[in-house]
Amino acid sequence: MDNTDILATEIDDIDTIKSEVLKKISELAFDNRLDEADTIAFELIPGVRPRFRCCVYREREIIRQRVRMAMGKLPTDSHYKDLDPSLMVHVISSACEGCPIARYTVTDNCQNCLTHKCIKVCPFGAISRTPRGSVIDKTLCRNCGKCAEACPYSAIVDIIRPCVKVCPVDAINMDKNDIAVIDKDKCINCGACVTGCPFGAISDVSMITNVINLLLDHTKKVYAVVAPSIQGQFGKDISLGMIKGAILNLGFDGIYEAAEGADSVAYMEAKELLEFKKEGKPLLSSCCPSFFTLVENYFPELKDNVSTLVPPMAASAIYIKNMDPDAEIVFIGPCISKKADVLSNYINIISAVLTFEELVAMLRAKRINIRNQADMSSDSSSYGKGFARSGGVAQAIRKVVSELEGDEASSSLEIQICDGSKECINALKLLKHNRLRVDFVEGMCCTGGCIAGPSVLQDASHTKKLFKPSDEDTSIESAVLKLRINELDIHRT
Amino acid sequence: MEIRVCIGSSCYLKGSREVINELNQLIKENSLNSMVSLKGSFCMGKCSVDGVTVSCDDKFYFVEPDDVDDFFEKVIVPSIPRAI
Repeated sequence: MDNTDILATEIDDIDTIKSEVLKKISELAFDNRLDEADTIAFELIPGVRPRFRCCVYREREIIRQRVRMAMGKLPTDSHYKDLDPSLMVHVISSACEGCPIARYTVTDNCQNCLTHKCIKVCPFGAISRTPRGSVIDKTLCRNCGKCAEACPYSAIVDIIRPCVKVCPVDAINMDKNDIAVIDKDKCINCGACVTGCPFGAISDVSMITNVINLLLDHTKKVYAVVAPSIQGQFGKDISLGMIKGAILNLGFDGIYEAAEGADSVAYMEAKELLEFKKEGKPLLSSCCPSFFTLVENYFPELKDNVSTLVPPMAASAIYIKNMDPDAEIVFIGPCISKKADVLSNYINIISAVLTFEELVAMLRAKRINIRNQADMSSDSSSYGKGFARSGGVAQAIRKVVSELEGDEASSSLEIQICDGSKECINALKLLKHNRLRVDFVEGMCCTGGCIAGPSVLQDASHTKKLFKPSDEDTSIESAVLKLRINELDIHRT
Repeated sequence: MEIRVCIGSSCYLKGSREVINELNQLIKENSLNSMVSLKGSFCMGKCSVDGVTVSCDDKFYFVEPDDVDDFFEKVIVPSIPRAI
């Protein structure tokens, strides 16, 4: 990440378009000129020749909607006007290509063989033979997939719309214009479709202007709480301490790590786990808001199994509020779901949520060079930081149990680690029917954990190695006692 | 009962943070935590009206930061279901 401006003409992919819009909005917000936001579409899409879409007018309409979303508004227009403000992810209808995809399609691999297994297995008579190979009649095909299995050349493929394919809860449908529509009752705000759509047509609503307004209001003390996954996001030369320094330079009055809250959450959750274990009841982790929503909406019978602890971000916020009751707190993370979590459950303690993407936009708008930052210290343990990756919560819980009850108690714990929504859903299904005998389930809806969240800046393969727990570390208990978070109530209300 | 306060950019400038903080305070003072849940919401599309948009049981209200007390007393308190 450097601080050179990307010129408008260099915009060539979704990430740059979205980040340019966020950067421009940040600049205007810092200058108190948000009323000029309408000009952004013309600045980013100058001239008359289109570069990515059919015409400049459509390109500008997409930018106009992105500007609205950057300002906390929904991408509504005269046709798509009933969007639900409680959803964090929305389809920008003008950006949705309405991918004209028929699911089962015969490809050029078809050798026009003599046996024609595909025709024989099709229960609906949808496949016929032509001189150029098999052809599927779309009006008869029911997407059973038998032909694809039967073809010895793997010539028949199942193409699903990318957004539909990545959605773990089947929340995306098509309307009569083939535009993607998100079912608000099914959506768990995980953000898989945001990264999954190759046209960037699904995006999250931002609170960036609220945060900038808070920072400009000098009568308020504004604190940042950063997710542990921020470590390594700006490349391997930029330490966590330097990132913290850069964030402070944006105008925050203080910065805390959610990993500090994570230490105390692990500490209390391990105690809760030991209680649950006595009753023979499995405990589910509560830190991933999409996992939490998954349990609440799809497996309500397991609701009482979810840990009563708040997520680490809220534990850190409660800690700050205890010192300064008037503090305004902004959580910065890789997660879209946390926006929904804060709006629904923690709006009384946390004022806003920023994603890493939005943080970068603010740093660029203020021309803050992350390389020139002094290295700040960190008060959290490597286990608290480990909450950022899949398996990290489980490791922290084991560590606390071994601190409290000894190594044997810790290694005898049966823990199921669910990496990604699919594994979460599978484990919850088994649990519901009493087929999973475990003491603790760690659920994270992003595959890889938060370091693979929808708004991370680096691929998880580069950052994963930063989150190994270190044995030189002081105990989690001592990290918790140092900050005295254990004296506060960090349970969900 | 669910109260949703708009935090979109226009309502934010009209003082939605103050409205949230004050409502939170009033809910606490009156020990209504178990009955009233306070939530934030993105833009509900009523930016042109004066006052912060607040939805309460699917009805919309427009509240100025200075009138939160009044709103709480006249709208929130009467709509809390009576204990039987």
